[in-house]
Order: sequence, then C-alpha cells, then structure tokens
Amino acid sequence: MRRPQKSCPFCEGRVRWIDYKDDRTLGRFITDQGKILPSRLSGTCARHQRQLSTAIKRARYLALIPYLRGHTA
Amino acid sequence: MSRNYEAVYIFDSTLEDAAINDKITRFHGLLGASEQPEVNHWGRRQLAYQIGTKENGYYVISRFAAEPVALPEYERALRLDDGLIRYLITVHEHEVGAPAMSEEEIAAAAARRDDDDDDED
Repeated sequence: MRRPQKSCPFCEGRVRWIDYKDDRTLGRFITDQGKILPSRLSGTCARHQRQLSTAIKRARYLALIPYLRGHTA
Repeated sequence: MSRNYEAVYIFDSTLEDAAINDKITRFHGLLGASEQPEVNHWGRRQLAYQIGTKENGYYVISRFAAEPVALPEYERALRLDDGLIRYLITVHEHEVGAPAMSEEEIAAAAARRDDDDDDED
C-alpha cells in the first residue's frame, strides 16, 4: 500500500526561496520538541525540504526558533 | 566582482540605540561599498534560548553588495565586538537557484499525483 502523495505547501504558495528569518512559517515545520518535520509528514517536495532544513538551521543559530523546546540549561 | 550579502546582527539589548547605529556604521565602513547598505531594524526581541546570560537581543538585518576580499576584515571586526552577541552573513543571490516551476510543470505534477491516487483504488 502506497501513501497518497501530499502536495508541497511551498510549491502551492509559489515560494521560490524559503526565508530563514520568517520564524512563523518555519515554526509550522518543526515538531513540538523542535525537530525538523520530515517531508513524509509535511508533504514538502525534495527541493523545498532542502531549503527548509537550511533555513531552520540558520534560524536556530539566530535564536529565532529553539534547538530544543522545553530545555532549561 | 561584487556579490550581494545579507547580514543579521544580534546586539546586546542593553546597548543604547545610538551606540548600535554607531557600530553598524563602523562595520559597514569596512566594506568599502559604493552603495549605502540597506538596513532594517527589527528592534529588541526575546531570544528563543539563552545565549550566555542574555535573554533578549536587538536584531538588525542589513543587505549590501561588497567585494569578497573585503569580508575577512569586516568579519574580524564583528567577532571582536563585545556588544554583538551573534551575527550571520549569507550570500543573498536567490536568482542563482533553480527557477520556479512554471504553470505547466505544476499542472503536470498535479496530474501525476492524481494518476498515482487512481492506482491505489
């Protein structure tokens, strides 16, 4: 049984480049814990998933989104 | 050949606005750019996690065109600055990437998906 193909939310929105500063959009593609959501769950196409993972990693470095939510040092 | 860059600075939120502007002017002076960089102040916002003892930062985004040879000197100044919590410099040339899908390609992709769905019934 194959999974029905989901459509890529970025292709549908005609997004050409994913902005690492847009923490609200990126926030939709991370789990409650802060992990990057797999394309299997989000339906993101390969090209956008690659852009997304880079964008999320940059946003994490800039403290726009957490590396790990609920963690206190 | 000059390239387009985008830099994000996170300053210490306890700094005065004037001090932050002075620093930005000094950094951009090192680039030797002919055009004035485009600066966008996000202002003070909470960090998603603590950096050292700091919980807030003053975010500034700037876009500029500069010669790649000017960057090491500029980056050294950023590293040495105590008021700067963190910075990120990225190449801002998105037209370099693959072009957006055309209407036909999107329609073709949708058609392929529909075909796949039919197979499963």
